[in-house]
Amino acid sequence: MTQPAIFFEEVNERQGVFHRRAILMGAFAGLGVGALGARLAYLQLFETQRYEKLATSNQFNFKLMPAPRGIIVDRNGAILAANRPNFRLMVARDKGMDPEATLHTLAEYVPLDEARQRRLLKDINSAPKRAPVQVMEDMSWEQFSAINVRAPELPGVTADMGEVRVYPHGGAFAHVIGYVAKVNKEDVEKAGPNPDPIMLHPSFRIGKQGVEKAFDLALRGRAGAKKVEVDANGREVREDAKGDIPATPGKVIELTLDADVQLRAEEVFGEESGAAVVMDVRNGDLLCLFSGPSFDANRFVRGLTGVEYRGLAQYDHKPLFNKALTATYPPGSTFKTMVALSALEHGYDPKTVHVCTGHWYFGRMWKCDAVHGAQDLHHAVATSCDIYFYQTALWLGPDRIAETARKFGLGEIFDIGIPGQKKGLVPDTAYKKRRFPKDPKWHPGETPSMGIGQGYTNLNPLQLCVMTARIANGQKSLHPRLIRSIGGVEQKSGAAWGDLPVNKDNLHFVREAMAAVTTIGTAARVADLGLGDVKMAGKTGTAQAYSYGSGRGVHGTAGAWKLRDHAWFVAFAPYDAPRYAISVLVEHGGFGAAAAAPRAREIMRTVLLKDPEVMKRVVRPAPMPDLPPEMQNQPDAADGIVTAHAPTGKPA
Amino acid sequence: MTVSALTRPGERDRLIVKLSEIDWLFVLVLSLIAGAGALMLFSMAGSSWMPWAAAHLGRFTLLLLVMIVLAVIDLRVWFAIAYPLYGLGLLLLIAVEAVGDVRLGAQRWLAIGSFSFQPSEVMKLGIVLALARLYHGVPAQRARLSWWLFVPATMIALPVLLVAHQPDLGTAMLIALTGAAIVVLAGLSWRLIAIFSATAIAAVVPMITFVLHDYQRERIFTFLNPESDPSGSGYHILQSMIALGSGGLLGKGYGLGSQSQLNFLPEKQTDFAFAALAEEFGFLGCVSILALYAAVIFMALRTAYLSHSHFGRLAASGATATFTLYVLINGAMVMGLAPVVGVPMPLLSYGGTVMVTVMAGFGLVQCVRVHRYAEVTSGKGSFV
Repeated sequence: MTQPAIFFEEVNERQGVFHRRAILMGAFAGLGVGALGARLAYLQLFETQRYEKLATSNQFNFKLMPAPRGIIVDRNGAILAANRPNFRLMVARDKGMDPEATLHTLAEYVPLDEARQRRLLKDINSAPKRAPVQVMEDMSWEQFSAINVRAPELPGVTADMGEVRVYPHGGAFAHVIGYVAKVNKEDVEKAGPNPDPIMLHPSFRIGKQGVEKAFDLALRGRAGAKKVEVDANGREVREDAKGDIPATPGKVIELTLDADVQLRAEEVFGEESGAAVVMDVRNGDLLCLFSGPSFDANRFVRGLTGVEYRGLAQYDHKPLFNKALTATYPPGSTFKTMVALSALEHGYDPKTVHVCTGHWYFGRMWKCDAVHGAQDLHHAVATSCDIYFYQTALWLGPDRIAETARKFGLGEIFDIGIPGQKKGLVPDTAYKKRRFPKDPKWHPGETPSMGIGQGYTNLNPLQLCVMTARIANGQKSLHPRLIRSIGGVEQKSGAAWGDLPVNKDNLHFVREAMAAVTTIGTAARVADLGLGDVKMAGKTGTAQAYSYGSGRGVHGTAGAWKLRDHAWFVAFAPYDAPRYAISVLVEHGGFGAAAAAPRAREIMRTVLLKDPEVMKRVVRPAPMPDLPPEMQNQPDAADGIVTAHAPTGKPA
Repeated sequence: MTVSALTRPGERDRLIVKLSEIDWLFVLVLSLIAGAGALMLFSMAGSSWMPWAAAHLGRFTLLLLVMIVLAVIDLRVWFAIAYPLYGLGLLLLIAVEAVGDVRLGAQRWLAIGSFSFQPSEVMKLGIVLALARLYHGVPAQRARLSWWLFVPATMIALPVLLVAHQPDLGTAMLIALTGAAIVVLAGLSWRLIAIFSATAIAAVVPMITFVLHDYQRERIFTFLNPESDPSGSGYHILQSMIALGSGGLLGKGYGLGSQSQLNFLPEKQTDFAFAALAEEFGFLGCVSILALYAAVIFMALRTAYLSHSHFGRLAASGATATFTLYVLINGAMVMGLAPVVGVPMPLLSYGGTVMVTVMAGFGLVQCVRVHRYAEVTSGKGSFV
């Protein structure tokens, strides 16, 4: 490059231009920096509040925490459903962690075999990032603390304590209380357009059956929130305990049930299928509402496997079914109490005598179990003579029987808080007309069956217990009550429903007849409580599941289980001052007196032995043994203190 | 030891005199900024020297020494290597086009052994030196308005296009603006400046529509309306503005910035370091840092102003322009005034490449200061 000729002026001119431009550049830079400063002032001095709010909403999250679910207790405060701590181990996929290696490390602390590790790995990898997958549940405290200590070096691993529903009695209350389980799509849809956000919480469980379902909202309580500081990846950095919103625990629900009675019912049923209902005849409180066989509700909380569920669903004894409410059966001879009462109400002379020869012709040949000879109404109830009641029913006609039966709660659905009651049926001519338009007339030949609780008549065990309780009470139109209180608020009493519109003398007659059943009648020995003069009055029932005429039905316990008769027993005790009523159904149990009455007796005994008033009658102060004369002056013996040389103490 | 223009011949070539001529106040201000950077990096690592703060300080100390070494090198050496450096830069840019590493979707890095660097950074200094040397021998009239201006225009366009093709829009723009600054400082006619500016502004819309990559376009649209997509590409700008705004007057306190500590602020240690500082130290801290930057720019520009050689003037002011652009672009980006382009805040942000470029540029500036009376006549300068 040739050196250009640069003159002095030229140099000066270049320098001058540069100097001017450099000052301009300085000014430009100053302007730029000033603009930045102005922008800063705007953001940091005038918009501070807005951005502070945004920063805070970045920084803090509120994490929903399910409230402790309300517990369910029996009438004496015994826990029927509660929550127990559950140490869980969870792994979430995250940056900088290898799920496989993590599971491998965890296997040193908790039992995780290869197959389980593989399955979990698949779950973890398919779950969204940072969504925890449960690896272990119900860890021991040792496992929990060992993993918690190592958690800081195991990213993505959390060991926390949750709560899990527990039913300490397993199956005994399963049908009444139901169970809780994970929320599914239908639950969310049913909750309406704005479902409680807690429903989406992974550890939240919703009531699926029985009390758990019916009172889910009360039991649920109000979820709280935990204030946590999170980083940009949503990872929790710190907890801010002061900012927590405490949860409101769910309400305690007190049932009228008595755990001892219910457990005794479960015991006496064993593998048999059926139901037992016990009611306090003074206020309608249900002391027992059992359906057997049952199932362990705790398994449902954890989630059933397909095999387990099929096993329950396909078993012919139908353990998932609440037979006390949902199943209806012909009431059989227990219905004769209603026929007898109805007859009395309509002016029937109880001294009317019919002769039972074992056979009776009305259109066709009708049979009786035995040859009872000449009997009046009282004895016909005691011996459960079908032939007597065929004729009584004919005298009454279906509508009058039905009218009386309905007054006693038959064919009615009661509001006991939990769903699932089946109405059953007490037929009458109107029903026949409605249901059979092709053959709307009630034929006289249909009435005798109704008189012995067969035919169209179908009732559930709860209804029969209510019937018995109303007979026993003699005055009030009792309603059953299952829920005693919710969160300490007492529910409406079963005695607050008005009076029975029947003649009390007639009721007395029926009670006397029922007493005869257990003294001289069908349940003579099997219903003996063995509690001295505290006696039970009742009525047996043997209801055909299939008609014998078709050749399928089996009378007694000889044939296949499915074809046997249903065994019924309804009773109240003590018969002279009724306090409790019971109905027992043994599905395909054979004879009522053989299958149902002894079970009813055992359950009733448990009930009575828990009643201090009844116990006063049972346990009488035994007379002091006559002391030998040389003992009579001993001061300690006079004080009732048994000394070493005292002959015998009081008999227990 | 004050040294005036009137000294004995050879006196100024003494090393001790040269060292005394370095603007030590300037060094102090640079150290303050780098120290503030280290302070922030320490805080952002959760009160830890690792992984950033220690490296940042170490790097700055080393580069400060390099700067001093560069400052005492004879200005004529800079003059002599101006074209070779520019040529080398061009070659490297072509090389990176052919064999460079692709990182984050852009071909910017060239690996030599285990050492990898971005050739575009070499070009930032190369363009300054080459243009300064070019204009050094050009009379005012030609620099003002003549067909000769195609020479500097081509010299700027070549590296800009190569870098833009990588694609690294931020650096390309930086090189273009640095070059333009020198051309203007050298005395470009106002009429041409007006025409070029108008053309550039008019070209913005078609550029955005046809030339830019999708992600670049997206960045610009996002910048125009950051709230449109707060979790997507608007996230960076929005989070940065939240960090700034929530800092308020006095800041949240050292180590207490929720935006930076909890990683809501993206690239907090590099591109958005200023926002992190703004969050923890507030408006007062920010203004103090901006004042330090303004002081650096002023002192460097003053050095250029006082230089007796045209090469020195243009070289020093060019290096200053690069630095100024860094500060302004990063500041504007962090404050939501410009789209997100990967331009860090020099000396404050963590990152070696930019610091090398900036400190080398300041080495040149100090060299111009030390040799402000030196006569730069031709490429045949004597070596120290």
